[in-house]
Amino acid sequence: MTKNRVSRLLSVLLALTSLWGFACAHAEQAPLRVVTTTAMIADMVTGIGGERVEVRALMGSGVDPHVYRVSFGDIQRLNGAELIVYNGLHLEGRMGQVLERMARKRPVHALGEALPAARLIAVDDAGAHDPHIWFDLRLWREAGEALLERLIALRPEDASLFRTRAAAYFARLDALDARIRQDIASLPENQRLLVTAHDAFAYFGRAYGMEVVGLQGISTASEFGLADLRRVRQIVASRGVKAVFIESSVPPRFIESLLAGLESAGQPVRLGGELFSDSMGPAGTPEGQYFGMVEHNLHTILEALQ
Amino acid sequence: MSEILWILVIALLAGAANALIGSLLVLQRRVMLGDAISHSVLFGLVLAYLLSGSRDPLMMFGGAALIGLFSAWLTDLLHRLGRVQHDASIGVVFTFLFALGVILIAGHADQVDIDPDCVLHGELALTPFDTLHIGDTDIGPRAFWQLLGVTALLLLMLAVAYRPLHALTFSAVHAASLGISVALWNTVLAVMASLTAVASFDAVGAILVVAMMALPANTALVFARSLQQMLIGAVLASALAVLGGLALAAWLDASIAAAIVVAAGLLLALALALKAFLRRSSAAHRETPRSQSA
Amino acid sequence: MSAWDALFAFWRLDDPNVLWVTLGMALLGASSGLIGTFAVLEKRALLGDVLAHAALPGVTMAFFLFHTREPLVILLGAAAAGLLAWGLIDLLTRRARLRQDSALAIVLSLFFALGILQLTWLQRQPLANQAGLDKFLFGQAASLTDADLYLLGTVALGLILLTALLFDRLRLILFDRQHALALGVPVRRYELLLAAMLVCAVVIGLQLAGVVLMAALLLTPAATARLLSDRLRPMLFIAMTLGVLAGVTGANVSYLAPRMPTGPWMVVALSLFFIAALLLAPQRGLLPRALRQRSLRRRVEEENILRTLFKLHEETSVDTLWSQDDIRHHRPLGAARLNRILQRLHREGMLDGTPERMRLSAAGLKRATTLTRGHRLWETYLENRLGLSPERAHFAAEAAEHVLDEATCATIERELGRPSTDPHGRPIPERPDAAEAPSR
Repeated sequence: MTKNRVSRLLSVLLALTSLWGFACAHAEQAPLRVVTTTAMIADMVTGIGGERVEVRALMGSGVDPHVYRVSFGDIQRLNGAELIVYNGLHLEGRMGQVLERMARKRPVHALGEALPAARLIAVDDAGAHDPHIWFDLRLWREAGEALLERLIALRPEDASLFRTRAAAYFARLDALDARIRQDIASLPENQRLLVTAHDAFAYFGRAYGMEVVGLQGISTASEFGLADLRRVRQIVASRGVKAVFIESSVPPRFIESLLAGLESAGQPVRLGGELFSDSMGPAGTPEGQYFGMVEHNLHTILEALQ
Repeated sequence: MSEILWILVIALLAGAANALIGSLLVLQRRVMLGDAISHSVLFGLVLAYLLSGSRDPLMMFGGAALIGLFSAWLTDLLHRLGRVQHDASIGVVFTFLFALGVILIAGHADQVDIDPDCVLHGELALTPFDTLHIGDTDIGPRAFWQLLGVTALLLLMLAVAYRPLHALTFSAVHAASLGISVALWNTVLAVMASLTAVASFDAVGAILVVAMMALPANTALVFARSLQQMLIGAVLASALAVLGGLALAAWLDASIAAAIVVAAGLLLALALALKAFLRRSSAAHRETPRSQSA
Repeated sequence: MSAWDALFAFWRLDDPNVLWVTLGMALLGASSGLIGTFAVLEKRALLGDVLAHAALPGVTMAFFLFHTREPLVILLGAAAAGLLAWGLIDLLTRRARLRQDSALAIVLSLFFALGILQLTWLQRQPLANQAGLDKFLFGQAASLTDADLYLLGTVALGLILLTALLFDRLRLILFDRQHALALGVPVRRYELLLAAMLVCAVVIGLQLAGVVLMAALLLTPAATARLLSDRLRPMLFIAMTLGVLAGVTGANVSYLAPRMPTGPWMVVALSLFFIAALLLAPQRGLLPRALRQRSLRRRVEEENILRTLFKLHEETSVDTLWSQDDIRHHRPLGAARLNRILQRLHREGMLDGTPERMRLSAAGLKRATTLTRGHRLWETYLENRLGLSPERAHFAAEAAEHVLDEATCATIERELGRPSTDPHGRPIPERPDAAEAPSR
């Protein structure tokens, strides 16, 4: 084989690849079709992708992953997706397992699984982790950085746009993160205690220096007993906490029974309000979006404990 | 589009398997077993998890199947030995096992996050995406093979043991008088019922199982005059319900499994209405009393 | 706090949560024990489970119509769905003549599926926060408070009053509906009233105590009571008492140590009561039944030996002493087994002599005479009147001799005209106390 022939072959290949690239750039003018499971994730994908992505969340902003059921149309939505983004860490239950296996066939991205295990909170001995990563805004940003790389890998031609928009989105996350840090630090030390029915706020507590106390364990199939009520009541009474909170995905009566017991024992404590845990507010309201939802939680906590 | 086709095939298989076992259970008056097993498997899931230390799907499946079998067997034992009525024995067993499961979870609160909805119950609409592979070749959805196996086992059981099962579902006393071992065949039925139930929970979710055990079998029972007619009728009714349900789900953009259940319900209503109409129009002609004790 | 301290602290009942949960669970246990007995007798033991699933479309509908998760609204929705479900079960069993368990499974799955259909539709609507909608209705036992006590108290009191006032009518409807209809009792009205009370009790129980506890509370005490009695009034009392006891036990256990859920421990307590009754219930319990069977088997064994000895005496005289081998010659039995039976007969004073060489005592002779008399009369009757061959008549009489009483024997004797010999030509003895036993 002569040197001449090799260079000729190379030039043909080069020409072909440039042509192919040109054709692709034209064919891929349409925005990237992304399907997400939760609305929090959809918020972030939109934040990074802007006009260049077409985002569809399977679970609307007010929908809790526990309540969500796959509908007929969701099959087509999943099928038509060029990228599927989900939370992982068992938030989506069996659907998460299916999505994991779908990775063989089409691009899927699990935000939680992309994070280093050391940054996650373990909940059991079998390597399961708490899925509520979006309540630690720095961690959420790290998850976003991995997502950004994934989006760029899929659409290199939009890389600069993605990077610019991501920088702005991450800046908002950083700003809110700093505000939460500052606001929580401004609370009296004995009030930095978040009492809820079952803890969705472990990451929040770890990141912003609040102790988190729940009536029952992590499993939603579990129940609490009278001794657990007594334990939480003693903590609340001994710390002089001003308020406790309802979680949006747990029946309010669990916390209400704690309040009633405290009141009857002569240690009245206020109900601080409702915190969003696994879902957000209705679409079209500030709480229906990620930042609004986090701010609502922060505001509720501050109002109640200050 | 091939996804919808797979869903159709899988739903037809799940419908057929549950309609077959459901027909036998309906005649034995213990069709609530499906619902009971869906609750009692919690105990099996927790046990499997605590013993194996993993949430491996195969482990979960094994634990669920064993406890499903155990609860079916215990129910039968309570009924035969303790002379407790069928529905009460089913209820006592499943509430007890479920409570034990919750106690185990609560006791290991820091280590266990098990919820049947998350680790066991599958979703019909997602089955086409969960495929099996040999090497790199895609050989179709896991649920398809699973349900195909169960359906084949059920057909095998019916082919081999049609006579004893026929006698048993007619009446246990009758079966015993023919020299058929009631305990043995009740155990075989319990094994198959729990295997079908757990395999179907895993593939298509709990609600479809409870419904497909009860609805098509009762639809067939409206007209059937023999066990054979009832079995065939139930499978046909389940197939019609699956087709109608898929259409309903597509029209409403709703849960496919739920839509199939609703379609099966409509089918039963239709059959009952038709029967009432026929009876009225031939009331003078003849009356066809069906054996039925209140 | 040690377990003992906790136990004392519990019974001081000065912890408000403890007081509420204990009282509340006792009330709930009483009312569901009562209503559950009716449900179990109607073969609807799993109604609690069915209504829990059937509540879902009520919850989603209430949410859809009023856009709120206000507990009262949701509760009313669930109650409405529960009544509809009850109506459909009634329609399916009464009109369409479906089996009870089929109707329950059908209504359960159909209603639940309707709820899911609505959920998949709701999740695309920009409505208020839907979080926890599927579990919203389902409380936990430990979360009972004083506000719930009034509701529970009212329901329990209402149910008890209603049952007390209408007891005879309800019993009639429950056990003989046709008869009640024939008597002109407004059966439908009573049934509707009962159904409304039942649905109320179940739905209120559900949102306070959860699905599985409610299912167990409705059926396990009633099933236990069924094992202990056949009559409605005692059954109601037993079921209510067990419900109350389990409530107190569950509250107690869940106070002693952390991570002991109240509701599931109540279910465990109920199940243990059930297991105890299953084993020990005087009439239906497994153990008494096994004991009765054993004593019957022993009596048959003993009576067979007595009869064998009687026949041996007949061949010679009542004073002859017989060995175990002589007996086994007539009645093939294992040596060890025969020895055990003979020892029992000795203890009961049926035999004289030693276990090796023996004869019937006076009491033994009397009993053996009675048995032989029954045996031979029955043989004769079967041959004379039914034309059975002597061999077949003998085998039939082998079984009948253990259950024939003197009145029957006397009737047969009269009927046959006081025969003196049986088909084998052996004498039929007189009644042992009427005539002197063969003198010694």
